Amino acid sequence: MRHPTEGVLRRLLDEPAGVATADRRHVATCDECGQHLASIREDADVVHASLATGSRAGADVGPAWQRLSSAASTAGATPLWRAGPRGARARTSLRRPVAATVAVAMALTGAGVAAANDWFQIFRTERIAPVSFSAADLNALPDLRRYGEVALTGRPDVHPVAGRAAAEAETGLDVPAVTHLPRGVRSEPTYQVGGEATVTFTFSAHRAAQAAAAAGKPLPPPPSGMDGSQVRLVAGPGAAALWQKSGVPVLVVGRAVAPRAFSSSGVPFETMRDYLLSLPGLPENVAAQLRTFNADGSTLPLPVPTDRITTSSAQVGGEPATVLATRDRSLAAVTWVQDGLVTVVAGTLDSDEVLSVARGLR
Amino acid sequence: MALNRQGGTIAALAGGWAERKERVTGSGRVRGVVRADLEVIFRRDYPLVVGVAARVMGSQDQAEDVAQEVFLAFGRTSVPAGEARGWLSVAAAHTALNLLRSGRRRTAREETTAAADRTVVSDVAEAVVTRDDRLRVRAALARLPRKHAIALVLRHSGLTYAEVAAALGLSPGSVGTTVRRAESTLRKELNRHASSD
Repeated sequence: MRHPTEGVLRRLLDEPAGVATADRRHVATCDECGQHLASIREDADVVHASLATGSRAGADVGPAWQRLSSAASTAGATPLWRAGPRGARARTSLRRPVAATVAVAMALTGAGVAAANDWFQIFRTERIAPVSFSAADLNALPDLRRYGEVALTGRPDVHPVAGRAAAEAETGLDVPAVTHLPRGVRSEPTYQVGGEATVTFTFSAHRAAQAAAAAGKPLPPPPSGMDGSQVRLVAGPGAAALWQKSGVPVLVVGRAVAPRAFSSSGVPFETMRDYLLSLPGLPENVAAQLRTFNADGSTLPLPVPTDRITTSSAQVGGEPATVLATRDRSLAAVTWVQDGLVTVVAGTLDSDEVLSVARGLR
Repeated sequence: MALNRQGGTIAALAGGWAERKERVTGSGRVRGVVRADLEVIFRRDYPLVVGVAARVMGSQDQAEDVAQEVFLAFGRTSVPAGEARGWLSVAAAHTALNLLRSGRRRTAREETTAAADRTVVSDVAEAVVTRDDRLRVRAALARLPRKHAIALVLRHSGLTYAEVAAALGLSPGSVGTTVRRAESTLRKELNRHASSD
């Protein structure tokens, strides 16, 4: 087999999943490619270091927004936004990342469609908390533990129920009914429900100082009242209907109360967030999450692994929806938030099929 | 502020990009009216835009100025929100590269800030990169073909190959080649100076 091109080797460093299996296998067993790859890696590392600015962690968005607002106004523009509390349209837009969170957690992380079988657990259990702060591999909980206590204070107790009526009775939600099943999906669904799950993060100045020391840096002085401050993340309750074919889940329709975050004591969440962003050694993936995390629960973002997943926008019932599909087209999901409820339709279907199911829910 | 002199550049860039997209979407560009979702997108993407510009400029202060200009231009476009991240990243890289190429000298305050910033660099690879290396890389960056330079900066700012491809109109498969060529050129530039020191 011919050797992969330099471009393929370069991508292998960043996004191995984006490289053809045959190329990956070749590189793994080819000494020449291995040496070439090492050289490319070294160039990439040196250039990355050269381009790094070592800049202050986290740009100061608040003052920057004020500056832009006044600049736009003085430039004669007609500001349609408000610098203060956000309007209804903004809230609607902000909700879409929540949807992405659930869809990804539900169906597209882990082992592909197998994850669909466990989606409720992923969404409902403690793994939803690291999702809200961390990268797609759901393993960043230890990163925040370096800065304080992370405690699961409520458990969702996911369990099967007899049917849709029982699911609704137990959760208090209107569990959506599917009017038109996609071709090949038959039989009655099974239902699962779960209660409310809560995760609490308590900032510890002592631990943060230890983490900073491990990174060889002093801890920036915490804001007054920061030590011991808590943020609480609450998800659920929720319900899901699962259709299976030969024991494999082929369609999942779920609805849950959208995740919320609360600052339960101490400084406001925004203060905690901005301070955490200033800490030395904070992993970039955690920082990226924190920057867009709002205390009102309107966003609970999760990085979508775009090497494996494409995203697009759509409308479902007049609401903006996010469509996610694996690049191999084996799995698709559509998800949206309406009235504080997040709804997800996912399955071993294509994007048009999940949208069709979503738009046919009643 | 010298950045104001670059206003035409970013506006032209924004216009060109918007026209390309609007032929597809059929939406018109709204002049004199700031888009309603600007604050949401600003709060979401401001750190990214500053990061892109900072990688080009080597200065957080200048990067923040670039970000202001980019978002001002963006606020007057009708670029779909879903494409904002790519648009903003490309615009930030373009604007910063223009400034870099124009050779505008940094102020004493910015030099001081940049020097202080360097003291917090922790990565092992970064430890062997000297201040002169950083300056040389940026000079070389300004000489690269524009698309190569932007692909490089966007990739090192955390955009995925798919995002870089979409933002620059490349095929995802060619992003690796483009980034690799840019890195190879910059590394040679560093090695050339290292061997002549």
